[in-house]
Amino acid sequence: MISQKGKNAAFDVALVALMVAVIEVCKFAMIGLPNISLTAFWLVLFSKHFGNKVYYVVPVFTLLEGIVFGFNLWWISYLYAWPVLVLITRIFRHNDSAVIWAVISGIFGLSFGALCAIPYIFTAVDLKSGLAYAVSWWISGIPWDITHCVGNFVLMMLLYKPLGSVMQNLQKQIKH
Amino acid sequence: MKSKKILGVVILAVLIVAMAFTFNAFKEKPVEGEKNITIEVVAEDKTSTVYEVDTDAEYLLGAMEDADGLTFEGEDGPYGMSVSTVNGVRADYTLDGAYWAFFVGEEYCNYGVSQQPVEDGDSFKIVYTLAE
Repeated sequence: MISQKGKNAAFDVALVALMVAVIEVCKFAMIGLPNISLTAFWLVLFSKHFGNKVYYVVPVFTLLEGIVFGFNLWWISYLYAWPVLVLITRIFRHNDSAVIWAVISGIFGLSFGALCAIPYIFTAVDLKSGLAYAVSWWISGIPWDITHCVGNFVLMMLLYKPLGSVMQNLQKQIKH
Repeated sequence: MKSKKILGVVILAVLIVAMAFTFNAFKEKPVEGEKNITIEVVAEDKTSTVYEVDTDAEYLLGAMEDADGLTFEGEDGPYGMSVSTVNGVRADYTLDGAYWAFFVGEEYCNYGVSQQPVEDGDSFKIVYTLAE
């Protein structure tokens, strides 16, 4: 006989796995599009609707990304970049405006290169060279950050309302 | 609420313009025409091989391709090639705890090989370096 607590835990594990699967499937489906993905969109939506459960989604997603694409230097930045987005989303969780979410995810996309540049500070022969390398690396990637920003903004504007209402229904069913 | 939305969009637009401006102001500009450069490879055992290269390439990657006898491999990413193997020796940060460090003169190259501009008279150094 499985206790209610055990059932809830199993349900939460399944829910986290499902959220990670949704993010990964969308990522692979859009892999041909440079720096345009639904990862930020889903993390915002999951953070908003499934609350603390998203804290388990980010590490599982990050680990899976390392297993699939290799534990390279960029992977280190995933350890803090995505948690930053989740934290911001939790702060603004009561907001229900697609425009505000689009702006938040757009700013996150714009900052992504700067966040990912941080580990490069520590790869050079000394800290000064590392800092110069990280800044140059960030500058050379700015066109990709702008693409990321515009992609995040547009996807959020298009999908927040329709998928947000689906999430709301799911949220109600889960509570019942 | 409407004014907050407008303000948000305006802030985002300003940030995009500022980033585009930063990119245009600080990106390295390539130099056209023929250049004579040297590329020195310093292997794991500190042995050095120097290549004299005449090239029209604007970026280091092209100049390395023009260097007779120099072989290299790497992975292509959004920021160009990341070189992992030079003259048959692999220095993969994750697998080997080492990397190929690129220098122009005595300064660490600020760009990857696909974006590092080449100027006439440049001396590049590719050094097998253990990660600290």
